[in-house]
Amino acid sequence: MNAMDTPEARELSYAEAIREAMDIALESDPRVVLMGEDIGVYGGAFQVTGDLVHKYGTDRVMDTPISELGGAGVAVGAALTGLRPIFEFQFSDFAALAMEQIVNQAAKLRYMLGGAVSVPLVMRFPAGSGTGAAAQHSQSIEAWLAHVPGLKVVQPSTPEDAKGLLLAALEDPDPVMIFEHKILYKSKGLVPAGHYTTPIGKAAIRRAGTDLTIVATSIMVHKALAAAETLAAEGIEAEVIDLRTVRPMDRETVLASVRKTGRLLCVYEGVKTLGVGAEVSAMVAESDAFDFLDAPIVRLGGAECPIPYNPDLEKAVVPQVPGILDAARALAKGRI
Amino acid sequence: MPTEVIMPKVDMDMTEGTIVTWHVAEGEAVEKGQPLFDIETAKAAMEVEAPADGLFHHPVAEGTVVPIGQPVAWLYAAGEEVGPPPAVAAPAAAAAPAEPALAGAEVSAPSEPMRAPEPPMSRPAPVADRPRATPAARSLARQGGISLDRIPGTGPSGRVQAGDVRAWLDSAASPSPTLPAVSYETGALAVHRSRGGTGTPVLLIHGFASDSTSWVPLEAHLKHRPLIRIDLPSHGKSPRLRIDSFADLAAEIRRAFDGLGVEKVDLIGHSLGGALALSLADTRPRSIASLTLIAPAGLGPQINGDALTGICRATRVESLKPWLGALVADDSLISDAYARAAMASRNDPAQRAAQARLADVVFPDGVQSFDLKAALDRLDMPTRMIWGRQDAILPWKHALRAPGQVALHFFDGVGHMPQFECAEEVGKLLRAAL
Repeated sequence: MNAMDTPEARELSYAEAIREAMDIALESDPRVVLMGEDIGVYGGAFQVTGDLVHKYGTDRVMDTPISELGGAGVAVGAALTGLRPIFEFQFSDFAALAMEQIVNQAAKLRYMLGGAVSVPLVMRFPAGSGTGAAAQHSQSIEAWLAHVPGLKVVQPSTPEDAKGLLLAALEDPDPVMIFEHKILYKSKGLVPAGHYTTPIGKAAIRRAGTDLTIVATSIMVHKALAAAETLAAEGIEAEVIDLRTVRPMDRETVLASVRKTGRLLCVYEGVKTLGVGAEVSAMVAESDAFDFLDAPIVRLGGAECPIPYNPDLEKAVVPQVPGILDAARALAKGRI
Repeated sequence: MPTEVIMPKVDMDMTEGTIVTWHVAEGEAVEKGQPLFDIETAKAAMEVEAPADGLFHHPVAEGTVVPIGQPVAWLYAAGEEVGPPPAVAAPAAAAAPAEPALAGAEVSAPSEPMRAPEPPMSRPAPVADRPRATPAARSLARQGGISLDRIPGTGPSGRVQAGDVRAWLDSAASPSPTLPAVSYETGALAVHRSRGGTGTPVLLIHGFASDSTSWVPLEAHLKHRPLIRIDLPSHGKSPRLRIDSFADLAAEIRRAFDGLGVEKVDLIGHSLGGALALSLADTRPRSIASLTLIAPAGLGPQINGDALTGICRATRVESLKPWLGALVADDSLISDAYARAAMASRNDPAQRAAQARLADVVFPDGVQSFDLKAALDRLDMPTRMIWGRQDAILPWKHALRAPGQVALHFFDGVGHMPQFECAEEVGKLLRAAL
């Protein structure tokens, strides 16, 4: 679905689009409940739930104690027993505290009980660097969860997709992990009114091009698009793919693009080693698209260190537009 | 520590060279100054001498492209233990191109506690047993049924990229709209040897669209020596070989020469054969006692492209005869009988097509695409050049580029084939010299 073509689309921020999705879900489906720390009267650590508690009351919008493991456990149990919980973490980094519930319970129960149950759980993770929140509040850990069979992992980059993927996640019978980039919360975009879904497992081509394929996730999509504009002025046409879903990955969209361009650049904020781009690269290298590669695959990802507090260093450890430009030029001009 | 033998820098623009031939085998003893190997660069082919006495070990494979300054083999002192090839640091000249600054993302904390140091380059030389090529290039080459070996790569370190293969396929598919398809063969060049004669053999290399029989008028004057004639690829009795550049052609001649088993020759070449003789003298200087170039190609861009095309295209005596006339100053020398005999020797359409394709490769668009002036300047064996002042194929003034030690002989009233048109005078000149 394309917001541009929809007459009732309005400009909303990414956070507002998510709130609207939750509002629609709470309104239309009595099984939907929100859970999380300070999501009630405080409105959430990033003000995403806002005033929903006033509209739906504390039975539907529940503050949970400061125990991620406890809260996640309640959410998994609620999902098992018929509710449609949306659980918010204050920072995605705190998922570490809830890993038992996410990885060993939510992801596995369908398998361990022979398909007799499923866990229709949605978890929302404010993620990424750029807020000066340092090492324990700035990570991009989507690859951790994407490594677990049984979980679906999405990373919306636009307000439209933030809403559409959340509504799609609610329709999914299994746990869906949504990584929302904190820097994107205030970004604006056209968002269709009413209920719609953005398909999970489907990437979006944000810009068509012929000279190289840039596969990016989350905020890196915007950096890649900015770079692509500069590249176009230099005569290099980059195709920018917004992966949107990390697991299950949209194989066909990526492979078709690489078959066309013969050059692949992966840009992601998570640590480069063993990250999302590693999987994209390996997927291409293992596929028939390998025969179309006309240069080595290049990855730009986070540095091998925790996110620093110093603002200059914080910028330096994740891919930025100039670095994307350098890599794309080198690739497109056959210098790598 | 053994002495390393490196890829030398032999011209200003050179960044890498190809090992063409090793003259010694693994384990052999060599002396300083002894010819050790031949290299080819983008511009030239050269013989390289041993830098020291020693036992020869660890050569890189023939055909390998090696950056300048990188070791290509090692010379061990007698009694020195020969282990695996010694490790060397990458010399500055051969250092990999600076890695592009991919992103700030690679910047680590100042102390870099988590990054292992890059190991120093420890291999003696990049030894490739197959050409560097991208998957896309390999796939295209596979589909096109061609080998990557001959496709020049324009990527980093000579990596063949898809565009290189496409360009190659395009140029091979349509060298010129008028050229017919060519079927190629494999095999060694035909070599004809005379009986009789003593002393140093005389090696004769004929010109384009000719063959070894063209030497008959001159041979009467050279009978005192053993005579060896080589037929060019796709000429005379030689197989039709695919040739993609002048360097390719020169390499075929060099291979044929190396197979002759002769220590020294007096070398004579005419026209394109002159250019090949010059190239051979440049790469095998110790084997060439003297060099005679008759109206040689390779000393200037001009050549009579119409005559080349006309001779290649001719399928009848009527269309061939005028072009044969262009080869000589006095066209009454070209009788109908001569023209008929010439046409009879050109009655194989496959061979004509192969010659047309060869002309298109070495003289594209009627231009001499290679310049051997530098090779001519390097020669140190006695060298003479013979030219007819009425040459309508290659301008005799190209001879004036020769350095002072080359003897120049110009014949008035003679065209492109002095060895035919004034065989007596040329013969006398050679008899006095050889």
